[in-house]
Amino acid sequence: MFRICLLALLALIVTGSNVAAKTTIEWWQFWTDPSVKPTIRAIVDDFEKANPDIKVKLTDLTWANGHEKIVIALASGAGPDVLELGSDWIAQFAATGHLRDLSEHLSLDSNQFHGYGMAAYEGRLYAKPWILGTRVMFANRDLLTRAGYDPEFAPATLDQFKKAAFKITALDNEIYGWGSNAAEKHRLYKKYLPFFWSQGAQIFTDDKRYCVLSSDKAIKALQLYKELHDSCGYVGNQRGIEDAFLDGKIGFIISGDWLLKRIELEQRDINLVSTLFPGLRFPGRSFQGGEFLAVNAASDQAEAAMKLIDFITSPEAQVRFCKANRSANPSSKQAQQDDYFQTNLHLQTFIKQMSMVKHPPVDPDWVYIENAIEEAVEEALFGSGLPAEALRQARQKIAALKQK
Amino acid sequence: MRLSRSSSLILSLPWLVTFILFWLFPLLYSLIMGFSDYRLLATDFDWIGWDNYRELAADDNFLSALKNTFVFVLGTIPVTTVIALALALLVSRSFRGRGLFRAGFFLPSVTSMVVIALIFTNLYQRGGYIAILAGFAGLSPPEHGFLFDRATALYSIMAMDVWMSVGYYMLIFLAGLKAIPDELYEAAELNGAGWWRRFWSITLPLLRPVALFIIVINSIKSFQVFVEIFVMTKGKFDTATAVYFIYEQGLQTQFRFGYASAAAYLLFVIIAMFSIVQFVLLRRRRALW
Amino acid sequence: MVTSRHTGINLLRYVGLGLILVVMSYPLLWMFRVSIMDVAGSVAGSGWLAGGFTLGNYIDLITQAGLGRNLFNSALVGLSVTLGNIVFCFMTGYSLARFRMLSNKLLFVTVIVVLMIPAHIIIIPLYVLMMKAGLYDSYWALILPFLVNPIGIFLVKQYVETIPPSMEEAARIDGASDLRILFTIVMPLCRPALAVLAIQVFFTNWNSFLFPFILTSSDDLRTLPVALAMMQGHQAIDWPHLMAGSAIAVLPVLVVFIILQRQIVSGITAGAVKQ
Repeated sequence: MFRICLLALLALIVTGSNVAAKTTIEWWQFWTDPSVKPTIRAIVDDFEKANPDIKVKLTDLTWANGHEKIVIALASGAGPDVLELGSDWIAQFAATGHLRDLSEHLSLDSNQFHGYGMAAYEGRLYAKPWILGTRVMFANRDLLTRAGYDPEFAPATLDQFKKAAFKITALDNEIYGWGSNAAEKHRLYKKYLPFFWSQGAQIFTDDKRYCVLSSDKAIKALQLYKELHDSCGYVGNQRGIEDAFLDGKIGFIISGDWLLKRIELEQRDINLVSTLFPGLRFPGRSFQGGEFLAVNAASDQAEAAMKLIDFITSPEAQVRFCKANRSANPSSKQAQQDDYFQTNLHLQTFIKQMSMVKHPPVDPDWVYIENAIEEAVEEALFGSGLPAEALRQARQKIAALKQK
Repeated sequence: MRLSRSSSLILSLPWLVTFILFWLFPLLYSLIMGFSDYRLLATDFDWIGWDNYRELAADDNFLSALKNTFVFVLGTIPVTTVIALALALLVSRSFRGRGLFRAGFFLPSVTSMVVIALIFTNLYQRGGYIAILAGFAGLSPPEHGFLFDRATALYSIMAMDVWMSVGYYMLIFLAGLKAIPDELYEAAELNGAGWWRRFWSITLPLLRPVALFIIVINSIKSFQVFVEIFVMTKGKFDTATAVYFIYEQGLQTQFRFGYASAAAYLLFVIIAMFSIVQFVLLRRRRALW
Repeated sequence: MVTSRHTGINLLRYVGLGLILVVMSYPLLWMFRVSIMDVAGSVAGSGWLAGGFTLGNYIDLITQAGLGRNLFNSALVGLSVTLGNIVFCFMTGYSLARFRMLSNKLLFVTVIVVLMIPAHIIIIPLYVLMMKAGLYDSYWALILPFLVNPIGIFLVKQYVETIPPSMEEAARIDGASDLRILFTIVMPLCRPALAVLAIQVFFTNWNSFLFPFILTSSDDLRTLPVALAMMQGHQAIDWPHLMAGSAIAVLPVLVVFIILQRQIVSGITAGAVKQ
């Protein structure tokens, strides 16, 4: 027994001295599925080759529970050096001092990247944009044709879109004009907000002092959303809606670039139209979010961490990642110029949409606000059915929170 | 003379050590934090006495989560217990292929939640098998599917939970049935007692301790139902339960760890009271039935 | 006449049981079906015959995804914890059953409390504890806290209470030592209860996700449920591979069940009934 302990101790000392010669940084990231993980691994390997003095410990998180793990780790003063963060989380970690202020470093090349608006909290930058995401409108060309539209048609305004959805619904009992999300957490608001923004509504006033969630424009947006849901909606979770859309049962859905990946992997045969989200007058405003890379404030390896972040967000690495994941929206402006994006019609729609987007306010209480908005939409669709009243209650909740 | 007191303590040492090392600190920490406004990630906090508990008593979300939890517990436990007993009776006697049926009934208990969630989401969707069955029975299924309707979502998850857990409890019932001496049945048969009479006056009374063991354990588990809600509806359509509420408050929306801890201890008191009642019944010698 | 009526009842029984069997095992059969589909297609709406047949998904998982390592981890942790529980729950449960002194009653309260506080509250301080103790991201974090569990203690206690103490006393008069009595006389008597305990602990541990996910981070330590969760992409899920992984996860539990089934059925609560 004693001998084993001695051996273990010896081993510890040996590995310990190894570590001392190299800087080890830990990166927590979410891209775990077998189609993307090898690419992440390969990019990190290249980084280690380019920086022989740095070793990267790669830790995977799941989409369902990763956020919890980050919260628990940061709350305990632990956690990795580099974190992948969803855009919604930056403010909550920045406001409590858990992210390193990267303004100095990032401002150097900030004009070469999209998405910095989502990483700025109270005038400081806390994360570097990596892979962004937006939603565009997809339509089934066959159904549009059956409904009497010519082969070039794509709705440019909300009115045109609504009319087309109604026409498609009228085709058949089993055909629906619009795929409408059920009360699905973290998804429903991303569907409603494009309608909301395209009507010109805002969550807060420009000076961020007042919540104006229940403005006339917002109510109008929710009324339209409810009308589509009630009259033309195939209601399901995102997966169910996509399944039905790919099976040819739905005319229009809002979806992200992963739908293209699904179509490719599942070898789906669908006559697809992708188009910008419609507005009052062409175009509207879609939803923007994304994945960011940040440095833990508790990390003592900030320099190496920034090197890793710069490497991963470099145009070459971004293109490589996007190809593996079929992502449409690299944050790097240079990466967007790559042939991969330029030659694909649907990817082009996503890239164009990126210049017509809004993102939720960068607010430490965003998850609470998001929840209030989702509850309002849920109430209008599945509960009382009164959009104005539902939004008014949500506004009161948010206003009460902000007063504290 | 049996074992001495000191050897009794030595025997309990593994648990005592585990408890002190791993559970005592977390339990005390959360109990104490229940009296603070501590939020995870925050750097400081205040002691606020019983404020969290007062706020909980007036929090509509918490109260409706409690209501849902009670619906869940009171709805699933009798059904699970009766079906588990029925299944056990069906496969307790020796017949060809018995092992296959037992294993088949037990399968849902060991299948991964991801698989179960996918399959039940499909079963419950509009036009799915359950909707078709409901149609045969002359009922009109909810328009968008069972999980997307406030009137049916919670009950649908409860039905799934019953399906998932009956096999496990069937196993325990089976063991209980095996333990009933055959002579009792033979004697009753000689006295001309029919199947129903034997079931009522032998099987049920002798299964009482097993049944109550099952009910106690199942209650403690069901009061803390979480995973099913998390994977199926995320608490939407009026399906949030107490532990889901605790999870949301503590780890999701505002990281109110103090508030969530207070809710956990309130739930603890409720479960404890429920269990004490059951323990009293478990101890009672007179037949319940 | 009697025999034909008998066969009739028998047939009815098999039809009835068969129907229940289909309802109970449907998801598992579907899981196996999807696991041998050779397209990454949407499996949700497809029928039993669509999608083709292949064993490639299983081969991919073992050769490429490194599921072997995850299986090993789950087995190592699962078996250690199960073994620990058999010994420790037995010891503690026995002691609680035989000695009704105050300290033991208090001890029983601690058992029940741990059962009744939700894991989501416990896990945060437990995480801090593991970091401070240097156990974070090691097998120890997955094994040590779970070596003895409340339900197991409760089960053994209930069971031992129903075994008459006369045999132990007789052995003691013959001069047997405490430990000898405990492990050579009482433990064999508890075999059915320990079999239930073993299967319960093994499969709870085998399916455990939250603790392994939060308390470790190295790929090398990843258990099967965590690995399966990692196989799900952000929006697109490769169902055939995921289902093949789930099938691989179910098989060992099924084997354990079949091995221990007889032990359990020979009377978990043989004594409890005599209470």
